[in-house]
Amino acid sequence: MRVLKAILAAVVLTASLAPGLASAKQYVIGFSQLGFDHPWRVAMNNQIAAEVKKYPEFKLIITNGQNDNSKQVADVENLLQQKVDLLIISPNEAAPLTAVVKKVYDAGIPVIVLDRGVLGDAYTMFIGGDNKLIGEKAGEFVAKWCGDQKRSPCNVFEITGLSGSPPAQDRASGFREGLVKNASAKVISSVTSEWQKEKALPAAAAVFQAHKDIDVVYGHNDDSAEGAYIAARNAGLDLKKMLFLGIDGLPDPTGSIVSVMQGRLGASFVYPTGGAEGVDWAYKILVKGEKPPKKVVLGTDEIYPSNAKEKCAKYECKMN
Amino acid sequence: MTSPSIAVPVAAPARKRGRLLEKALRFQGYLGLVIVLVIGAVFSPTKDGVNLFLDLTNQMNVLRYVAETGIIAVGMTMVILIGEIDLSVGSLLALVATLTAHLLARAGYSTAPTILLALLVGAAVGCTNGVIVAGLRIPSFVTTLAMMTFARGLVRVVFGGLAIPLLPHSLGGTAADSAFFFAGKVSFIPVPALVMLVMAVITGLLLRFTPFGRHVYAVGGNAVASRLSGVRVELTRVAVFTACGVLTALAALIHGIQLNQGAPNDGITYELNAIAAVVIGGTALQGGIGSIAGSIAGAWMLGLIDNSLNLNNINSDVQLLVKGALIVAAVSLQRLQRRS
Repeated sequence: MRVLKAILAAVVLTASLAPGLASAKQYVIGFSQLGFDHPWRVAMNNQIAAEVKKYPEFKLIITNGQNDNSKQVADVENLLQQKVDLLIISPNEAAPLTAVVKKVYDAGIPVIVLDRGVLGDAYTMFIGGDNKLIGEKAGEFVAKWCGDQKRSPCNVFEITGLSGSPPAQDRASGFREGLVKNASAKVISSVTSEWQKEKALPAAAAVFQAHKDIDVVYGHNDDSAEGAYIAARNAGLDLKKMLFLGIDGLPDPTGSIVSVMQGRLGASFVYPTGGAEGVDWAYKILVKGEKPPKKVVLGTDEIYPSNAKEKCAKYECKMN
Repeated sequence: MTSPSIAVPVAAPARKRGRLLEKALRFQGYLGLVIVLVIGAVFSPTKDGVNLFLDLTNQMNVLRYVAETGIIAVGMTMVILIGEIDLSVGSLLALVATLTAHLLARAGYSTAPTILLALLVGAAVGCTNGVIVAGLRIPSFVTTLAMMTFARGLVRVVFGGLAIPLLPHSLGGTAADSAFFFAGKVSFIPVPALVMLVMAVITGLLLRFTPFGRHVYAVGGNAVASRLSGVRVELTRVAVFTACGVLTALAALIHGIQLNQGAPNDGITYELNAIAAVVIGGTALQGGIGSIAGSIAGAWMLGLIDNSLNLNNINSDVQLLVKGALIVAAVSLQRLQRRS
């Protein structure tokens, strides 16, 4: 009995000393991702995970909202329950996620909102890209290309993302604002592929059947432009006379950096995920105690055949 | 059987009318297809006097791009004929397509072993579905729903979340050129369409003229009576699910090779497309009635609707409305004719 008491006392003593033995404070970052089923989302996850590795104080938990608002709300509640030190969230939709994000923020946990916003201002900071600006740059690029190539008229075929989604609307309206710089360039056809390469193929095939004189194919994301490229190749069109461009600029083997290097896409505009920036700001907020700006707008980058190799090195792209 | 020379003359015209009606009813499954072809042709844009919708290149394009749905629908027809369902085909397609890309482009396999392995994986998954349904007696809706989730998780865990590029040497890639036969053409017919037609004919003949085919219809019509008549019901079920898995794997091969990539996130909702094609084609969801030809017609019809809407540059939201309405209209006209 005495021996037992002694052992118990020793255990309790060691346990009470343990916190003091730990060197630095460990922070748990909870990241609620809206879904894992798109390469761009996977890139965001990978970039966050890679950036977290740079900070030994950080531990990362990622949850998958499976593109469902209710599931994502449950995920955030779960992270709150686990008492994470900071929440990073890319919300599926603004309104359904606002209340639960406010709950986390009101509990004193910093919240960084990535890429898609929530309503109101009950969050620490928002980091995101500017789709309208990117669309405009794409439009200006096409306007210039049409002029350089002396195409008049210059027929543009647009493949849109999920119609009604803010990125698709912004990339469409921005593009048209940039395109007006060349009066002979016009969008003569616009179909949706809902961001998917597999849907882009049959849609583009039909449009190439209806219009034999397409000069430019503008995809709201690179995957759609690639799908159209395959359809154009199947249709026997003269690919050298056409320009295919898209948005995303991902460095993975089926991404646009490799595609531009291999001569399929003629241009791609990077839509940054903001993952790395989110983690860096998390460090500044938690460890350095800095007060961040409410909104950080990420710039874009442009990938052309002339700079593709350099961008490949910059973004650590993988060839296959 | 020869009738005696004292045959009643009044009966003859009625018999003739009966035969004509019978012939018409046999083709009632294709009425929807005909309606869509007519509407598509009427509303088609024309260029230099060519009706773009009916143009051979366009129709061949449509067949090329419905081939994957069509091949899966051939397998799904058999599954639905025995009164079951297979929700796992979309995930299986992603699994096999990604495996194909990995084998051809990364692991340096040649075409024949890749095809073999792909079909084997399809058979394995299908067989697993069948054994669980027939052996453990878990309803196929639940079993294949679970397999749908499991297979999707499996492909993401094994291959990561990113797509694997699949390009032939001739286009600067790392995969054997011969595999890309599946994306090419034989004369003017796209190979995917050819594969779909061949699988449809083989399966159709199998269902019509072999004991296995009769067992499929029997089990779907009345499983208890079939068992009492000596039909190996469990074996039939396993065989059907395995066949569906193999056909899905074939569709997956074509999918990956046509799309130049194997992606773990592809094939989502493909099961719905296949089921829609089968049901539109006249196969009853409770089993026992239906045909392969009807399912191919259903798949083709769905492709034609999409094609016509895209040719006419219809706004994508409006497309959804029109498609839904057209499907219901075409199928109700079929049902009306069947009843008369």
